[in-house]
Amino acid sequence: MKIKRYNPEKDPPRWTETFNVDTKKGMNLLEALLQIQDEQDPTLFFRYSCRGAVCGSCGMKVNGKLALACRTPVEGLLEETTLIEPLPFFPVIRDLIVDMSPLFEHFRKIEPYLHGKPVMPEREHIMTEEERKAVDPYIQCILCGICFGVCPAFNREALFFGPAILAKAFRFLLDPRDRRDKEILESVNHHQGVWGCNTVFQCVKVCPKEVPPTHAIVKMRRNILKYRLVSFFSRFSSLCRSSSK
Amino acid sequence: MEILSHDILIIGGGLAGLRAAIEAQKAGRDVAILSKVHPLRSHSVAAQGGINAAFDNVPAPVNDSWENHSFDTIKGSDYLADQDVVEIMCREGLERVIEMERWGTLFSRTEDGKIAQRPFGGAGFPRTCYAADRTGHNLLHVLYEQVTGLRIPVYEEWHALSLVVAEGRCIGILAFPLFEERTVPIQAEATILATGGYGRIYLRSTNAIINTGRGCYLAYQAGLPLEDMEFVQFHPTSLFGTNILITEGARGEGGYLVNVKGERYMERYAPHLMELGPRDIVARATQREIDEGGGFEGQYVHLDLRHLGREKILDRLPGIRQIAMDFAGIDPILNPIPIQPAQHYSMGGIPTNVDGETPLPGLYAAGECACVSVHGANRLGGNSLLETLVFGARAGRKAASNVNPVRNSRGMISNGVKGEKGDFNPLAFQNQSAAFQSGLHDLSSRKEGEPCFRLRDELKALMTDQVGIFRRESDLLSAKEKIRELKERFGRIGIKQKRLAFNNEWIQYLELEGMLHVAEVITEGALARKESRGSHFRTDYPERDDEHWLRHTFAYKTPAGARLEYKEVKITTYPPKERTY
Repeated sequence: MKIKRYNPEKDPPRWTETFNVDTKKGMNLLEALLQIQDEQDPTLFFRYSCRGAVCGSCGMKVNGKLALACRTPVEGLLEETTLIEPLPFFPVIRDLIVDMSPLFEHFRKIEPYLHGKPVMPEREHIMTEEERKAVDPYIQCILCGICFGVCPAFNREALFFGPAILAKAFRFLLDPRDRRDKEILESVNHHQGVWGCNTVFQCVKVCPKEVPPTHAIVKMRRNILKYRLVSFFSRFSSLCRSSSK
Repeated sequence: MEILSHDILIIGGGLAGLRAAIEAQKAGRDVAILSKVHPLRSHSVAAQGGINAAFDNVPAPVNDSWENHSFDTIKGSDYLADQDVVEIMCREGLERVIEMERWGTLFSRTEDGKIAQRPFGGAGFPRTCYAADRTGHNLLHVLYEQVTGLRIPVYEEWHALSLVVAEGRCIGILAFPLFEERTVPIQAEATILATGGYGRIYLRSTNAIINTGRGCYLAYQAGLPLEDMEFVQFHPTSLFGTNILITEGARGEGGYLVNVKGERYMERYAPHLMELGPRDIVARATQREIDEGGGFEGQYVHLDLRHLGREKILDRLPGIRQIAMDFAGIDPILNPIPIQPAQHYSMGGIPTNVDGETPLPGLYAAGECACVSVHGANRLGGNSLLETLVFGARAGRKAASNVNPVRNSRGMISNGVKGEKGDFNPLAFQNQSAAFQSGLHDLSSRKEGEPCFRLRDELKALMTDQVGIFRRESDLLSAKEKIRELKERFGRIGIKQKRLAFNNEWIQYLELEGMLHVAEVITEGALARKESRGSHFRTDYPERDDEHWLRHTFAYKTPAGARLEYKEVKITTYPPKERTY
C-alpha cells in the first residue's frame, strides 16, 4: 500500500511511502491504516471516529476514487498496489488530513438551520410521511467533503458553494416547516450557487450516503426560473395596465 | 502566558455538549465548545433507534404517560436509578423532543402527521420517537445547525489535558490544539464535561474509536469520585466482526433472534416481551446461547428481519441495511444478520445533581460521561439520547445562572494580566502548565518501554474476557492484578517524538492513561458488588440483594487504586420489586 505523505517541515515535504499490511478477512482500509499507525509509523496522520460510515471523518482518495476509508474493504485492493491520497480540493494539513474549513465556510453562508413557521405551542409541526420522504434523501449528508473532491465546478468558480451545501439549502427549501422560500432561492441564485454547477452528476455518483445534490441543484434552478417568469409576467401585465390607462 | 477565557467552556461536541452550549448561549453567556473531533464526528451521530418520550402518538389500548415512562425506566434500571431524577427526565423529555422537532429534526411520522413512535426493549408502550434508524445523525446535525446559527465558537480538534482547580473550585482547563506546538490555559467560570463513554476499553464495543473515557478520567484525576462504574451495558445485537451497532429498533419493528437450531430462544428468557426484553436480559440470553453451543460457528446468532418484508426494511431500517451490506456483505432483506453482544454504554460516570453540578464547584457534567443517575444498573434503549438533551439543557442553564453576568468578558487575556473576571488565578494555570511540561520532559527522556498500543490491546482483551457480561470473583481478581501490572508497565513507557503537535504517540499515551484507570474502577466496583443487578451479573452471586446492595458505588482515586464508598438510592414512588418480563 502506497500512501502520499505530507509534512511541511520535512525536505522534501511531499513523498510517497510504501507499507505492508497484515490483512484479515473482512478488514477495511481504516483498520489497515490504524494498523500501520500502531505497528509501523506513529507519525502517519489521518482522521477517524465512528468506523461505521456515519461520522464523515475518513474521506480519502483510494486508487483514484474517493471513498470513506472505513467503508472500503481491503480485499478489493489486494490485486494491485494501492495508492492512498488525501481528499482533493481541500488544503492538506498533514498526510491524509485536510483542512475542511472551506466546506464549513460555505455551510454558514446558507444559514443552515430551520427558520420555523409559527406553530401551536407545545406541539410538533404536523407533517406527512410523504413530505418527510421528499426531504429525507437530502438530510443523509454527513459533510464528509467527498463531493467537493470530485466536483469540476470549482475549476471555473473557486468559491462555488459545493454540492453538499446546495443539497443542504434544498433540504430547507423542501421542508414544509421552513418559512423561507424566496430567501433560500436568492441565496443560491448566482454563479457560486446553483448556476455554477456543471450538472455532470459526479457528486451523485460518489456520495457514500446516496445524497443526490445535482437533483437538488436542478430543481432549485427550475424554481428560480419559475419565479423569474412569474415576476416577468406580473411586471409585464402591470406595464400593460399602466400603458392602457 | 496567553490565556483564553470564557464564561462557560464545554468539553465535548456531541448531543449533551451542543445542547448545553445552546442553553447557556441563549441565557446571554459567553460560551465555547472544545472537542477533540469536529462536533459532527462525535459518537452521538451513530445512535440509531430513537429517543423516548411518552407522547402517546400511536393508538394503543391504554394511554401512555410520562409516569409510565418513569416506571419502565426504574424497573429497567433494576431499581438502582434515582427515582426523582428519572421523573424529571421523563417529564421534561417531552418538551426537549418537541423542541428538536421544531429545530428541524426530520422525525418519521404517524398517519396523522405526528412524530412516529416504535416499541423498544423493556417498555410497555410504543414510546420511542425515531427518524428512520438514523435518529442520532438527525439530532446531532440539527443541534450543530443551531450552534452554527448562534455562532457559538468551537475549538475543533483540541484536547483537554487536565482540569485546573484552585481553592476547591474548577477554574478552567489546560488544553492543546492537536496540530500546534503549544498548550493553552482556558479560564472558565463554569466547565461542563460532555465527553461521552469509554467503550474502547473493551475489545468488542459498538463505540466509535474516539470513545476512551478521557472526560471521566479528567474528573477522577482531579479528585472527584466516579459513580456506579461497574454497570456496563452490553448491547445484544452488534454486527459480528466489526461490532457496529444494529439497532434495537430492528427488534422493535418485529425482528427475531434465532439460534443455530432455528429457535427464537428469547422464549426461554423473557416469555412475554421476547426479543423486546431489556438489554441486560437479552444480551445475557444471547451470550448464554452462544456459550452453550447455540451459536453459529460458536460465535454469533442471527437477527432475522426477512419476514418484515422489503418495504418495511427500506422505510424503517435503511441505515442498518446499509451497514449490514457495507460491513458484512449481507442484505437483511434476503439473509439474516449475524450478531453478537458487545459493550455499548456506560451507566456510570461523574456524579451530578439534577442540574449537572458535580461535587467540585465550577465543574458540571452531562450525558454519558455523567451519572445523574437515570439508568441505574441498566439503561433502556432510547433513554440515552433523551438524557443528553434533558440534562445537557439543565447543565447549560444552571451553569449560565451561576455565572455572574457583570463579570462577563470575551476573548483573550494576555500575559496573565487580570481581566474583568474577579477570581482569575494565573498562578494555578502556570503551575499546572509547568507540571505538565516537566511530565512531558520525563516521558520523552525515557528510553525503554513498550508501545502504547500493545498495552491497550491487552487491556481491551482482558476487559471483554474477564469483566464482561458474566463475571465471577476469580476472573475479577485476576483482572485487577493484570490492570495493576499494565499500570506498572505504563509507568515505564517512553515517547520517541518530543513535540506536542502532530504526535500520535502522545495522544495514545494520554488516552491509555485514562483507560487504565477507568478499567480499574469498573473492575474494583464489580469485584466488591457481591450481587447481580441489571447489567452487572455475577455467576457466583446470581441474585439481586437489596438489603446490602441497593446503593450507589462511589470510587475515589488513591495511589493504591480505587477506594469505594456507597450512597443510598433515592426511592420516591416505586419500591423495589422482582423484575420479570
